[in-house]
Amino acid sequence: MTILAHRDYRNGQTFDAEVVVVGTGAGGAVAGAELAEAGRDVLFVEEGGYHPTSSLNPYLTESLPRLYRDAGGTIIMGRPPIPYAEGRCVGGSTLVNGGMTWRPPERVLMEWESLVGQPDLGAKALEPFFDRVEERIHAKPQHPVSVGEDSRLLEEGARRLGWRYEHNRRAQDRCVGSNQCLTGCPTGAKQSTLLNYMPRALSFGARCLTEVRIQKLWIEGGRCVGVMGKAVNPRTRQCDIDVRVRSRAVVVSCGAVQTPYLLLGHRVGRPSRQIGKNFLCHPNAKVVAIYPFDIHAWQGVSQGGQIREFLDEGIVMAENAIPPGTAAAQIPFLGEEALELMKQYNGMAMTGVLVDDSHAGTVTRSFDAPLAKYSITAYDHERFLRGVRRLAMLHFEMGAKQVVLPFSNMHIANSIDDLDQIERTQRSRSTIELFTVHLMGTCRMGGNRRSSVVNLQGELWDLPGCYVADASLFPTAVGVNPQVTIMALATMVAQRLELPN
Amino acid sequence: MVPSPVLRRHPDDSWTLAAPRKVSPRTQRVLLALADAIIPASPRTETTLEDVTRHALVCLQYMPQSSARLFLVGMRLLNWAPLWRLRGLRPLTRLSRDKARRHLIAVTQSRWLPVRLSMYGPLGLFMSTYFDQDYAHRAIDYDPVPFIEARIELRRKWVEGVEPEAEEEIHHLPVVPR
Repeated sequence: MTILAHRDYRNGQTFDAEVVVVGTGAGGAVAGAELAEAGRDVLFVEEGGYHPTSSLNPYLTESLPRLYRDAGGTIIMGRPPIPYAEGRCVGGSTLVNGGMTWRPPERVLMEWESLVGQPDLGAKALEPFFDRVEERIHAKPQHPVSVGEDSRLLEEGARRLGWRYEHNRRAQDRCVGSNQCLTGCPTGAKQSTLLNYMPRALSFGARCLTEVRIQKLWIEGGRCVGVMGKAVNPRTRQCDIDVRVRSRAVVVSCGAVQTPYLLLGHRVGRPSRQIGKNFLCHPNAKVVAIYPFDIHAWQGVSQGGQIREFLDEGIVMAENAIPPGTAAAQIPFLGEEALELMKQYNGMAMTGVLVDDSHAGTVTRSFDAPLAKYSITAYDHERFLRGVRRLAMLHFEMGAKQVVLPFSNMHIANSIDDLDQIERTQRSRSTIELFTVHLMGTCRMGGNRRSSVVNLQGELWDLPGCYVADASLFPTAVGVNPQVTIMALATMVAQRLELPN
Repeated sequence: MVPSPVLRRHPDDSWTLAAPRKVSPRTQRVLLALADAIIPASPRTETTLEDVTRHALVCLQYMPQSSARLFLVGMRLLNWAPLWRLRGLRPLTRLSRDKARRHLIAVTQSRWLPVRLSMYGPLGLFMSTYFDQDYAHRAIDYDPVPFIEARIELRRKWVEGVEPEAEEEIHHLPVVPR
């Protein structure tokens, strides 16, 4: 395996490869592995570090700076502001996500097919790519041994209310429910790209440069011929060593925020001016129920299933246990009051309401970082109120003594009757507290250069040699966890990538 | 092959944690005062406040320079919350912990979004650091390491061919309440 880090680089060093892939998450690792397997000389460039499974642990103070972009301090500006999380390490967000493997609903793929005007993004055309990906990441239902009490409570609550609950298929091989998905699975069960696609790529001869932040595309004669960046000193965090990679093709897979940030540094995307537009993020609202008995939600798979009864309304509900540090940061209390609430951590069921995007935001360049802007619409707000109310109702039905709601002016509901106040008190979009982990759609794929950023091969319309393979390709939101869709599109882009003679 | 993790707080994978961002003594005092008002007064160790603020300064090193500077400016503004809330003339650094906390609670509950937004950063950084410490874990009866070690062992056996049995399932309630 060839994985280099900051200490291995010389200033001004230039690497050569047939294809350079920027990013090692769901998009980059898959595209790179497919290309390496097809005999291409692939070089990955990753901004974060390489952290093997043996180094993963349940401590946030270690895992936030090691595994997350900006140590988890990223935020989308808008009304309301939405904190978001994405991975920055070998494996990208697949190392720190829940590993859910839902395919997009059929209506979404029909819409994509219609928007693109070609069958390429339809259910039939994408099926072989989904099949291939799901086989490689072991997309399977959970074994009963891995399921925790919070999943059972949610399932039973849904059953009592007559709602459809579906067990998740996850990227896992013999998951035992250690519930450390968000800090990196220490058992080796979750099939992040760190464990499957990256080793596969490296076994076919690919190399990986870690701790290098790509700052520019290398463009010559109107063609993308590589990338230029700097290695980040791990101790000082200064970009202090120039590193370049010369290649015949570049695959940009930095995610839906960083990919447009990189591309917007150049005069590209002119035909449609859509780079950075169409930013989608599946905002979530947290609903934390406190039960009068211990359920130990931190034991068992982080998300056993989803309530999909309201999928047609664009609403999905699920449990997702988070470590106490993250939970404490999200509850609305300080000092002793926070401690008193946290003493009930073992009785907490942490659940959320995901709402499908009804409109889009933007990503632009600002100073030294991307600026993501997104505001929910009145329609989204109304669906959040409906979803939060239903989920809180389920918890009271199951015996919760208190529910912490995601509203800055109404945080606690002590009974089902308190939920009647939601509509009355929540008139403004500014009082709802949201977060997200699904970022999509800023370099949309399409069949028309006037309405899309990349063509159906994944190549920028106006920059030959530059391909995109990540969630920014999505023409619309998928409405479900996007991992397998990203992987399927990355597989398609890799198989269609053509190198110049 | 199943890896054998050590679950250590500071794993040795040759990766270096960044040095804390350098700030002026005044900013350091502001961060200490804010941390003191935000995290619980007990349990703590002698170094809790220093540890929590140092970790915040480490995290700032992983953010873009503009975000880190904005965060620190925000903290200085927050220090003067009594003044801009028209509730006093002295900054939080000159107030007792309880009085400072009352001001911060009011900021957290403000009806103005930009005011509430100023608490996102310190609340997230200080609370997540505090509740990641072993003594805080003990206070809330949270001890993940033995459980994770047992699950790693369970998976090791599974990979070797021993299918988990029903008694390995995770149950804390006799039955899900009906």
